[in-house]
Amino acid sequence: MTSRIKIDPISRIEGHLRIDAEVDGGLVSKAWASCTMWRGIETILLGRDPREAWLFAQRFCGVCTTVHALASVRAVEDALKLQIPPNAQYIRNLILIHHALHDHIVHFYYLSALDWIDVMQIPKADPVKTASLAQSLSSWTRNSPQEFKSAQDKVKAVAASGQLGIFTNGYWGHPAMHLSPEVNLLAFTHYLQALEFQRKSNQIVAILGGKTPHIQNLTVGGVANAIDLDSLGTLTMDRLTMIRSLIDEVIPFVYEAYFPDVCAIAGMYPEWFGIGAGDRNYLAVPDLPTDSSASRFDLPGGVISAGDLAAVKKFDTGADPDFRRAVTEDSTRAWYKGGALHPWQGKTQPEYTDFQENGKYTWVKAPRYSGRPMEVGPLSNILVGYAQGHPLTRKWTDLALDRISTVAKQKITVDRLQSTMGRYTARAIRSAMLADLAVGHCELLTNNVLGGDVATHNPPQFPKEEIQGVGTHEAPRGTLSHWVVIKDGKLANYQAVVPTTWNASPRDSQGNPGPYEASLLRNPVADPARPLELLRTIHSFDPCMACACHTFDPEGREIARVKVL
Amino acid sequence: MKKVLIAGIGNVLLGDDGVGPFAIKVLEAEYDFQDNVELADLGTPGLDLPLYLNGVDAVILVDSAELGGEAGAIRLFRKQDILRIPPRTRIDPHSPALRESISLVELTGAMPDELLMIGVQGSCFDPGSTLSRPVRQRIPHVIDAVRRELYTLGVWCEPKVNSGVPDTWWDGIGNAVGTDPSALI
Repeated sequence: MTSRIKIDPISRIEGHLRIDAEVDGGLVSKAWASCTMWRGIETILLGRDPREAWLFAQRFCGVCTTVHALASVRAVEDALKLQIPPNAQYIRNLILIHHALHDHIVHFYYLSALDWIDVMQIPKADPVKTASLAQSLSSWTRNSPQEFKSAQDKVKAVAASGQLGIFTNGYWGHPAMHLSPEVNLLAFTHYLQALEFQRKSNQIVAILGGKTPHIQNLTVGGVANAIDLDSLGTLTMDRLTMIRSLIDEVIPFVYEAYFPDVCAIAGMYPEWFGIGAGDRNYLAVPDLPTDSSASRFDLPGGVISAGDLAAVKKFDTGADPDFRRAVTEDSTRAWYKGGALHPWQGKTQPEYTDFQENGKYTWVKAPRYSGRPMEVGPLSNILVGYAQGHPLTRKWTDLALDRISTVAKQKITVDRLQSTMGRYTARAIRSAMLADLAVGHCELLTNNVLGGDVATHNPPQFPKEEIQGVGTHEAPRGTLSHWVVIKDGKLANYQAVVPTTWNASPRDSQGNPGPYEASLLRNPVADPARPLELLRTIHSFDPCMACACHTFDPEGREIARVKVL
Repeated sequence: MKKVLIAGIGNVLLGDDGVGPFAIKVLEAEYDFQDNVELADLGTPGLDLPLYLNGVDAVILVDSAELGGEAGAIRLFRKQDILRIPPRTRIDPHSPALRESISLVELTGAMPDELLMIGVQGSCFDPGSTLSRPVRQRIPHVIDAVRRELYTLGVWCEPKVNSGVPDTWWDGIGNAVGTDPSALI
């Protein structure tokens, strides 16, 4: 029997993501991802000064403001072939690292953990047993029976009040939930603690960026931070010391709570290493440059096709010649005119038709790399690094796989990361790598400044003739690229190819589905009215359609609903 | 001393969605506040909102809202009005999350004692457009609502002797574009 499920947000501003799936014999047989909000926000940049584009670009999205700001200045610098001083690289890198750490922690605990944790099992847990389990997993200092008891009491109070608040409408008691009450309590307790560490990570962004949200310190050619070890109001030794002590507070949470939690939960759901792979094409750009010319990177990039790790193609720079050439955006199945265009020629001409599953059905264009759909995100980042033998990637990936295999009592190999659970695992691996790199880049900056280099900015010069550039960033959700065309010092074209556009892309002119659509195929669905399994796979990508409005609706219509047709 | 946060929420590049940040810039330009008051344009923070409520005793939020009334209509919401309807299943985790953020803050026990949300009905949310005329005309009423709340909280705020020009740097962009997306080419 075939049934059809539609998961549709019904915010007043027609926005966000809609998933349609056909389910046949308990498995998804066809899927469509549709973004229901028109996104033409780049058009406001045309004719503006390229030096101020980043201020507008960081308002594209409310959550990932810094990533758009950075991709924007990098795009203009690429067009001008302008190098930036090492201090500017390190300061930008520290901002990126701490934004990403914050973002990955939010994703696991607040945006997806409740797909795996059954909160209603928590009252049955034994806090003492939970503590001994937790202490067997890590040396986290806040794993005491008292911590667990206090978290459990919060859930009991909510359950007793009859007002479930944030827990309303979770899929509690779903057959696909099978953690013990103690593991549920363990993860939930860290969910409560996580807020404090996100805040500290965000504080580092604010110290370097001037404020959050919306950092103020970027400039085309570097950063606007003045460095003077003796002067107040600039980046002083005191501030560098403060940043270092905040790093020392944040990273233990990553090493001792987030990473072990993900490994333990992943090991208890080993079947999810066999679900949700998709087409197995992976794209990541290198990031965290360590020199002025951005020729060396601490995070590797490259391309993997059809899951063949041995044939990985490495990118040498953030805007590799192959990457510049190979990216197109295909509008065949999206509500725009035109076919497949390179972003520098990109157009944004709407052609709305309503949802037509065999025609146009989304506001998201279909980015393609040499004509192929590509998955982007931490999983791509980890796989291209692992395939190249990148030592830091190998160190944390092997550790994660060991831990998961121990819990699962079966060997989980790197190939099995190509799955729904692999995406959660990869995000935790990447966070542990970023925690190592936070310390490294803080030291790079401090040592460079102590060596007497205080330069932070190289001034840009704009030619009369037309120039083109691309700025890339391996953002928390994956490869982000901003493509600019500048003529006579003004922006003549601007296209942002964002991570969620890669992942949520529709079918293309060849009929190839995008990564969400492909990864949903053969997903189990135990109960079409409660499609928890589909949410697990979609959430594994960490979708963000939030280049969007934030209108508050007192009647609660800002929500998703599930419809079985 | 009570710590008070006055925060504007919304995307300044999407027309009337930017009413909150706009109001914050007007307050900054035209009023002086007691030292314990912080003003912030938070953009669209999604689930990051709780980070900014840490250690805050009273919060005043200004946001665009769907009130079912005419553009520029204003309605005030308290904590319980927001918590009354629980958050539900999301597929896009970053979609509007005010209710969820407030519920999370409530759960962690860090809820400010006082929470007021000033909701303003918008009419136009197109990219690049600026505030619509009816919403812009109601800004003084939004400011009055903020000042009344501060008065109730016993917090000092008064007009500047020499008020400046609000730093709404994004304002007026895309004026030439109008509201028709097909004109945006």
